[in-house]
Amino acid sequence: MAPVDETEGDGPTEVHFSAGLPGFPSAHRFTLARWGGPDSPFSLLESTEVDGLAFVVAHPNEFFPDYAPEVDDDTVERLDLTDADDAVVLVIVTVPDDVRRATANLIGPVILNRRTLQAVQAVLADADYDLRTPLVPA
Amino acid sequence: MLVLTRRPNQSIMIGDDVVVTVLEVRGDQVRIGIQAPRHITVHREEVVAALAEANRLAASPSPTALDGLDALRGTRPG
Repeated sequence: MAPVDETEGDGPTEVHFSAGLPGFPSAHRFTLARWGGPDSPFSLLESTEVDGLAFVVAHPNEFFPDYAPEVDDDTVERLDLTDADDAVVLVIVTVPDDVRRATANLIGPVILNRRTLQAVQAVLADADYDLRTPLVPA
Repeated sequence: MLVLTRRPNQSIMIGDDVVVTVLEVRGDQVRIGIQAPRHITVHREEVVAALAEANRLAASPSPTALDGLDALRGTRPG
């Protein structure tokens, strides 16, 4: 299945966060586009409503091969995830100017339904994951 | 703050669309079920502030940071 954020000339994929994101409750509509070429692990989530608001997200298994968050029932319901294969997991990356200090939020992944293009930022019950996990091992 | 007392399996309605149900009380823990429409988030309180702060820090990286992203790609585990 083609990555959901591959741009095929029709432009970036439009995704919808019904409840916005924590800290940005009124930001519902975003575009999602691969950043840095077709085999880059990074994508850019850009708000179409809030000027200048954008997040770098990563396809997590590129950096965290064992990361397999369990999607809870409430998220499944909110996103109409009738097929588990429709779930796309992305993690928000904080990228400081010194990119070697970039971190990923593994406890609050973005879960996207590739069929409906609805998304939420879920909070994992598993407390072993961290808000700020370095992408580059120390 | 409105304070109500409920027994297990009793509920509270917030507005027209949010239902909070006490499912089980065990020792000093309460298991609570919440039904809310999709546009309303429901999170543990202590988590929301931390998550919102993390998002604010992550929001809108500088052009310098974006340009540097390529440097991270060679560091992926094999």
